[in-house]
Amino acid sequence: MTDEWVKIINNEKVNGKYYKLVFHSESLSEKVSPGQFVQILLNASLDPFLRRPFSYYRVRGSRIEILYEILGRGTALLAKKKKGDPLKMMGPLGRPFTQSLKAGKNRVLIAGGVGVPPLVFLAEKIPVDFLLIGTKSKDEILPKKELARVKAEVLYSTNDGSYGAKGYVTVLLRELLKKERPENLFIQTCGPAPMMQAVFNAARARGIEGEASIDKPMACGVGACLGCMVKTKTGWAASCTEGPVFRFDEMREWG
Amino acid sequence: MDLNLTIQIKNLTFRNPVTVASGTFGTSGEYAGFLDYEKLGAIIAKTITLRPRQGNSMPRICETSGGMLNAIGLQNKGLEDFIQKKIPYFAKINTPLIANIAGEKTGEFRELARALDQRKDVVKAIELNLSCPNIEEGGASFMRKRELIIEVMKAVRGETDLPVIAKLSPELGDVVAIAGEVIQAGADALSLINTLKGMAIDIERRKPRLANITGGLSGPAIKPVALRYVYEVKKAYKVPVIASGGIMTASDALEFLIAGADLVAVGTANFVNPRATIDILDGIVDYCRKNKIKHIDELRGSLKVERNEK
Repeated sequence: MTDEWVKIINNEKVNGKYYKLVFHSESLSEKVSPGQFVQILLNASLDPFLRRPFSYYRVRGSRIEILYEILGRGTALLAKKKKGDPLKMMGPLGRPFTQSLKAGKNRVLIAGGVGVPPLVFLAEKIPVDFLLIGTKSKDEILPKKELARVKAEVLYSTNDGSYGAKGYVTVLLRELLKKERPENLFIQTCGPAPMMQAVFNAARARGIEGEASIDKPMACGVGACLGCMVKTKTGWAASCTEGPVFRFDEMREWG
Repeated sequence: MDLNLTIQIKNLTFRNPVTVASGTFGTSGEYAGFLDYEKLGAIIAKTITLRPRQGNSMPRICETSGGMLNAIGLQNKGLEDFIQKKIPYFAKINTPLIANIAGEKTGEFRELARALDQRKDVVKAIELNLSCPNIEEGGASFMRKRELIIEVMKAVRGETDLPVIAKLSPELGDVVAIAGEVIQAGADALSLINTLKGMAIDIERRKPRLANITGGLSGPAIKPVALRYVYEVKKAYKVPVIASGGIMTASDALEFLIAGADLVAVGTANFVNPRATIDILDGIVDYCRKNKIKHIDELRGSLKVERNEK
């Protein structure tokens, strides 16, 4: 774990939705697993006041990539940062996605929005059977080269039907469930809360094992403030240190 | 040049004036990956209650201009867990541990103080959380009642000869008057201030941003308020004060020291910069060197006030 100033190498829009931030750091790139995150401080002026958590998207050597979308004031300010600008980065933080599975399990990744980067990272790192990605429309689909190293069957859904299946990503999941036996599946999901809730409920109804990366408004990132709590069977758990990845069977209900 | 930063509260000596505000530094080693705990003057642990507390619903925090609101609700694993799991951690660290306690009844404070007094080997002082803004029992905040604060102070005093620090909030009313009363009741030191109660609204959903509706405001936004109370209380009484409220930088900490603070507790700044305490300590040392200060006492309360006091 480290907290250091880095210099932006690149920070550009990659499509209608995402920006890609690139920087180098030896310590922030060491022993990183998909699902982990960094806490970014945009500047030393205390405005915005708190740091912002971002999943790792790609780590190669000491080169780190973060894929993000503009969701609020913090990300809007981040998108304005230029090559050479400093950012303070704290990481790697959090419990990552499970990588080793029991033999015979088919790994299904279900991603939307902010959940796409960590799951593409996972799919680049280990063998994945299916990667299901849901977006609003075609202009939000990642360029092909961003998925060049992913060895999985990638399926898309768009809300407006402009690319892949029409509807939410759960449409793809329902299709998949017609062909696959639930006990053979292991779902890993990250994205908007309603999407993950739908996935979680579908999995629970069929007894499918899996895990979800759940983000909450966060302050410290190290389990000190107890602001980012997730409801589990054993009580509140801090998303920043006990998560953000939680197994479905750790959760009593969604959220 | 030798620089002496030591501070004394009762029979307890701190190597330097930098500590952390309760609830912002976790309960054991949360920040150990970022700094050496033995560099700090003291560590004030997150509030413990007699029994475990679940805390409030989510969302519990929200960023505001120059700070944040929190309504954690004193989530903690209770006294037993503190003794079994947290005290052993601090036993290995050569920095005074100050336990912070809260209760819904005087008897709970009494029981907590009695139990912690048995662990003097590690717990070097007790801070009373008399001012958490997020605990409302039966509609009216128990601690709003001044006489109950005094009752709690006296009850804890009867249980321990450890230094007892009363943490007060402007939410309680006339801080200077209450400070006088808790000193009378046996407080060895005061912590000023706790968060100020505030709220924020999501205008799109027309809902409060915190599930608890209101929460405690902390960060730079409350620093001038904290500074004023530290100044006024130090002017009125000869009592050690642990100052907190928006201390982000060494310059903030120096303002409090010049106003008369004995220790400075870094709080919300830890969330923004995990090494805030160390950066602040380094900055204080630099300032002392630059200004040829040999002992922190030369700095403390050195405010030059030229206007006529009415």
